[in-house]
This record gives sequence, C-alpha cells and structure tokens, in this order.
Amino acid sequence: MSTSVDVITECRQRLAALLHAGDPTRIVLTTHATQSLNFAVLGLGLAAGDLVVTTVTEHNSVLRPLQHLADRVGIRIAYVPLDEEGALDQKVYQELLDDKPRLVAVNHASNVTGRVNPVAPLFDWAKQAGAITLLDASQSMGLIPVDVSELQADLVAITGHKGLHGPTGTGALFVAADVELEQVFVGGTGVRSDLVRHPADMPVRHEAGTYDMPAFAGLAAALRWVESREPEYCAREQELGRHLRAGLQALSGVTLFDAQADVERTAIASFRIGGWTVEEAGFALNASYGIDCRTGLHCAPLIHQAIGSAPDGTIRFSASGFNTADDIEQALAAVRHLAS
Amino acid sequence: MKIIDIKKVEDCFDGSSVFSYWFDSQWTEAAIGGLSALGRLEYFADFPRPLFRLTTPEGLHVKGVKGEDNCRVIYPQSNRAEIRQAFERHFAARQQNKPGGDQKSATQK
Repeated sequence: MSTSVDVITECRQRLAALLHAGDPTRIVLTTHATQSLNFAVLGLGLAAGDLVVTTVTEHNSVLRPLQHLADRVGIRIAYVPLDEEGALDQKVYQELLDDKPRLVAVNHASNVTGRVNPVAPLFDWAKQAGAITLLDASQSMGLIPVDVSELQADLVAITGHKGLHGPTGTGALFVAADVELEQVFVGGTGVRSDLVRHPADMPVRHEAGTYDMPAFAGLAAALRWVESREPEYCAREQELGRHLRAGLQALSGVTLFDAQADVERTAIASFRIGGWTVEEAGFALNASYGIDCRTGLHCAPLIHQAIGSAPDGTIRFSASGFNTADDIEQALAAVRHLAS
Repeated sequence: MKIIDIKKVEDCFDGSSVFSYWFDSQWTEAAIGGLSALGRLEYFADFPRPLFRLTTPEGLHVKGVKGEDNCRVIYPQSNRAEIRQAFERHFAARQQNKPGGDQKSATQK
C-alpha cells in the first residue's frame, strides 16, 4: 500500500522524468498551472521598470499575474504579435530582446488554435539576452515532448488534468537548479515544524498546506498511464486533429481560424458557423447533438484580435487519442447540419 | 410552465449575463410557440433533439431543447432588469391563462 509520501514522491519522480529534468526536488507540486504560473511570475522579484516579454497567444493565467505586477510594482510588459502567417513575429521578438528583458514567458501551444510555438529557438535567444525563460506547458504536457534542456526552459508550468489525463486540482512547477524563486505562499509543511520561518529547501520551499492526496494519487496513476500507453496514442490524436481541421475547413459556411495546415499543432480546432453566434452554436452542438465543446474567448483574450475572432471568440473542438474517426465524422456532420 | 429555479451560468462567454431557467414542466411545441409573442422565434425540428432559439429586439437571447425542463437565457448589458421582468412575466401570464395559454405552436424553420 502506498503512503502519502510515496504518492507525492512518485508524482515528482515521474514528472521529472517526463521533463528530462533530472532532480525530482526541482518539481514543486501545485493545485493547477495557474498557481504554478503565479509562483513563477510573482517569485522572481521583478521590480519597477523590469521588462517582461510575452506573447499574444497567452492564457490569462500568464497575462493576469503579469498585469498584476505591472499594476503593483510597475513592470513593463511587451506582447509579441503574430506575423502574417499566424506565427509569433520573430523579428519583433528579437527587437524586444535587445531591451534585455528579465523574463520571457511563452506558451508551448495555444489553447485557441493549437499552434505549437517554436520554443527552443525563442528561449535560446532569450537566454543569450540574459532572460529567465518561463514555459506554460498546460496545453502540451503529455501530448508533445517537453524536454527542459532541449527547450532551455528555466521554469515550466504544468497542469495535471489536460494532456496528462489526471484529476483537476493537480499541477506542478519545474524550477531549474540555477533559479531561486522567492516564496509567495508559506505555512504548514509537516516538516521542520520547529522553524519560525517556512523551510527554504526545495521543493517544500514553495509547498504549504495539506496536499490533496486523492487528487495526487490520481495524478500518479495518470503519469503511470502516460508512461505505459501505446506509442501510437499521440500520433492518433494528432491525426484526428488534422482530420477535424481539414473537415471543418472544407465545410461551406464554416470559418476555421488560423487555418494554415502545414504547422505543428495539438488536436484543437477553433471555428465559427455562419448564422449562429458562437455561444448559440455551442449550445446547439451540446444540447441537440451531444457534442461537447467550448465557446468564447477561452481565457486567452489577446489572440482573438490577431486571428480575427474578436470580440466573440470561437467554438473550440478538441480531439483526444480516445476518439475515433467516426467521432470526428459525427462532429463534422453536426457542424454541416448547423451551417446548412 | 412555471419557473421553479434560476441559476447563474459561470462560463467564459465574456461580458454577458447567462442564466439557466428551470421549469415545472417540459418544453412542448405549444410552449415553444408561445415564445413567439416575445420576439423572433426559430425552431429546428430536424435536429436530433429539436432546438429553439428566441431573439428579441431588446437583445434577449433564449434557447432550449424540446422535451427538456430548462432553457438558457442571455440578457444584454443594457435594460437588463426590465427585460428580465418582461421575460419572467411571460410565464406568469401563461400560468394565469391556463388552460389554453399555449395557443400558438412552434413552426419549423
């Protein structure tokens, strides 16, 4: 029988292995990626005038902690736009690096378009400019490789309930060995109770309060599944995603956003159906056809200006490796019916 | 139909006010058709589960499915209180006019 210590240790070890991070004590367990990103952004000791470079593809879990610091201490934030091809504008990015940012924060894949950002070169340039690099891997972990050395990521925020298929309420933050974050969350730890101050050692340095043990036991099981699943799982998910996007693009009356086919993506498609608001179409797909989807801005407000889906956002379909080609065809038939 | 519960729907549909209304009976074609008194009603009888949606000149949006005992209501930002009162009054009036309150049936789009 596993003890609570076993469960927590197993989560750290398996996450460290997935990230190729080496030392499991560099894995801080959190309640979700938002908490991980808050620890990272708020723990860097950013001061008035410090520049943070981020992108228009980010989720509010990055945008809002940064804005919070801009409001409270006066950091400067620069947002890398998209170029005409829908990719991050690397010319603008490199110009921003000339201003020596303290932090560069980039998501691995957009939760709106699924497009995978070219993190390895972006972070290579950022490191050369002296910045700390923060990767939001919420959309990629468990689906595409996240190797902290290869990507040159100093900090990686992870959620348990998406590509890892773990429970909600679980997450993690990888902190590179040469990065020390200030503590922003302190309290009971179950260890070193004699100390007046929160222990400074990793990983308990950033962990306070009782762990949600059932949730982390679920995450440990999910991580075992990720390690042992059939090798074709991710390739099948990618193929279903391509099937979905190609099918949507071919439908009359349907607008697929960021429609470029020859780029790396997760299995996500954002679209609209003529004659329907996104909210109404989402309701119809769910209530009439039994197809679960999400509508609106998806908590990533800036990207919609860039891809032409502002102000109402999109309908978003996400394929899983557990889906089948028949599921995708049923979804496409429902959209075709609504669009007719 | 009598309103028995109203719940605020939390979602990422930004800037709007979305509610789920629950009733003591299911949406029939007659009950759906009665909504046409409030604005433009569309009824999609050929959907796997027939769907209706109502749009009023004031910006009220209502949608639901035949056979369900609930519907989704989105109020606009402006004049929300008045529009809400008018929508809820519709069901109160139908209660008072029973029987025969549902004179008009939904017609297929």
